[in-house]
Amino acid sequence: MDFSDSPEVARFRAGLRAWLAEHLAEYADGVSYDSAEGVEATHRWHRALAAAGYVAVSLDPEYGGRGLSDLYEAVINEELAAAAAPPPPPIGHIAHAVADFASADLKGRVLPGLLGCTESWCQGFSEPGAGSDLAGLSTSATATDDGFVVNGQKIWTSWAMWADRCLLLCRTEPDQPRHRGLSMLVVDMDTPGITRREITLANGSREFAEVFFDDVRVPAANLVGERGQGWKIAQHMLTYERGPADMGWTGRLGNVLAAAQEAVRSGHLPADDVLRRRLAAVAVDAQVLSWHVARSLVDRSSADPGSSGSVDKLLTTRVEQELYSVVDDLTGAAVVVGDQRPFNEYLWSRAQSIYGGTQQIQRQIVAQRLLGLPRG
Amino acid sequence: MQIGLDAEQRAFAQSSGALAADLAAGWDRGRGPHDVASPEPSEKDWARIVDAGWTALRLREENGGLGAGTVDVAVLVEQLGRHSVAAPVLGTLVAAEQLQALGAPVATLEAVAAGELRVAPLLDARLLGFAPSADDALAWDSAGATLAYAPDGSAHALGEPLPATDVTRSVRRPAGRVGDASLELRPPTDDDRDRLHAFTLTLLVADLLGTMAAALDAAVEHARSRTQFGKPIGSFQAVQQIAAEDLVSVEATRSALYFSAWAVDALPATEALRAARTAKAFASRAGVAVCQDVVQLFGGIGMTWESPVHVWLRRAQTDRTSFGDEHAHQAVLADLDLTER
Repeated sequence: MDFSDSPEVARFRAGLRAWLAEHLAEYADGVSYDSAEGVEATHRWHRALAAAGYVAVSLDPEYGGRGLSDLYEAVINEELAAAAAPPPPPIGHIAHAVADFASADLKGRVLPGLLGCTESWCQGFSEPGAGSDLAGLSTSATATDDGFVVNGQKIWTSWAMWADRCLLLCRTEPDQPRHRGLSMLVVDMDTPGITRREITLANGSREFAEVFFDDVRVPAANLVGERGQGWKIAQHMLTYERGPADMGWTGRLGNVLAAAQEAVRSGHLPADDVLRRRLAAVAVDAQVLSWHVARSLVDRSSADPGSSGSVDKLLTTRVEQELYSVVDDLTGAAVVVGDQRPFNEYLWSRAQSIYGGTQQIQRQIVAQRLLGLPRG
Repeated sequence: MQIGLDAEQRAFAQSSGALAADLAAGWDRGRGPHDVASPEPSEKDWARIVDAGWTALRLREENGGLGAGTVDVAVLVEQLGRHSVAAPVLGTLVAAEQLQALGAPVATLEAVAAGELRVAPLLDARLLGFAPSADDALAWDSAGATLAYAPDGSAHALGEPLPATDVTRSVRRPAGRVGDASLELRPPTDDDRDRLHAFTLTLLVADLLGTMAAALDAAVEHARSRTQFGKPIGSFQAVQQIAAEDLVSVEATRSALYFSAWAVDALPATEALRAARTAKAFASRAGVAVCQDVVQLFGGIGMTWESPVHVWLRRAQTDRTSFGDEHAHQAVLADLDLTER
């Protein structure tokens, strides 16, 4: 048992810290998804991280990664959080899907842009009629002589407004049962027939969109893996999305907690005994979460994170939602009158139990796949 | 970074689990509180415990022990919890660690390691920590113990077991000094005191983990086999959602135990104690919550004496309270983190 950094990890961490100390100020300014300038700044930040070798490091070197374990992805997330830097590009799950399933030709065409962050990507999974019941999706890709023609609609597509490419889960085999009829395509977002419409979220955030496909032609060479393999690839991706390597926000929760503790210590936010105790209780949970994430990473090294990613996501949900709830209660009247950032952050914490598979779906996965309870 | 048990530790978990299961099989909760078996092990069972090296496990080699690390001890204690072992192994381990930290003579520690001197730790009346003296103190997990030592080195005989929640472990009061058994002890250094405290809290986390994991496993097994409305109740979402959150609690507690157990021997004492308090606060809340859920998942049968469910809840509740529950540790952590100094 050893929770401390190995010499290699310590060296990597020190290198990243040094890089951040030198370059963060240059890039961090103005990073957001709320305006065209903010998006441009975000892409600049991602390209700088990629050029320095800190994007998708767990991918094989032949695809542009560094062949390191998931642990290093976590170190990057931790160090960026500790430096109050913007998050790294959330592309690990897409990169693993492409690297693990796509043809050599497709990988050669798309991975350099994905990993170099010169092209930005979105992921077309959810539909108005297919949320938790993802396998029931209806966007169709009808095979033609040289490819597919796509028709349908995707929703909750993060960053779709600015994406260059979309990893699209769609139905290619309408005569096959639900899961078996799906395939994964790489779709260039400037293909004729694609319409994007921004969705403004309840907290004012503007990174979501819905995407419409009307007779969109996709070449056969853009099929990831084989026809009918879409569900398998999607599962592979979602376990990465739920898993700790893409859960970089545990470090960010630490920052929120530390700021709240400092505000109470300094008297900036007055706290009675009940609030102090609640803050201490959530600090306990946040600490245990960070130990748990470390254990998950090492347990799995770079193997497929699997269903236990759902355990991690459920634990993260508990901690994040309670933390923002306590911070809101500490902030008191200043939540409802004045700068709306605290309320908007609290509101976003409520999404934690919805996106990437709802809390109820995650519990079902844990109950059926890890505990072995029977399907209803 | 290497988080998890190594091959040797896994083998030790297996062998100690087998003995724990065997010991547990020889204990009978009977048909009600009136005929529950005593948690005092038979001479034969005590000899098996001693032969397995459990009483010597943590003491340093120069004191007749095996010098095991805290992770190894936690591996054993998790198995004690998993099988609700009704024998004072945990009490012995804690008392031995305290005596060693207070500089007890080698001969005394050797006798403890060899199972010849059976000791129990003295806790204050609120069970928050080690008692400063024998006044109002309680000898914890003391079934079959002959002596308990106060920090001043005075030795105390022990009275009859007090009425207690936990049916697998006993609490007794000091019942008079045993003059010729007293020892020369010294106050521990701050570091030794904090490390002893961290070690003890960690073992309680391990016992909680074993207890809650056993309870959840049994509830899942029950939900798979019990049918209502023509289906196993485990196929109902309302049941699955409860069990899933309980597994999250179990796995998080395991992570907390691993860190805390590693920290006792690897980090500076104050950091180790902080980690142990954090782990104990988490496990105290989670352990009892899971056992409560298990009562619910078993339904009416879980409310009977015949079912093992109450034994788990009793043990978890006792572990939770002993050496401070979540409220006690949250209060200390709140003072550390939230008070301007």
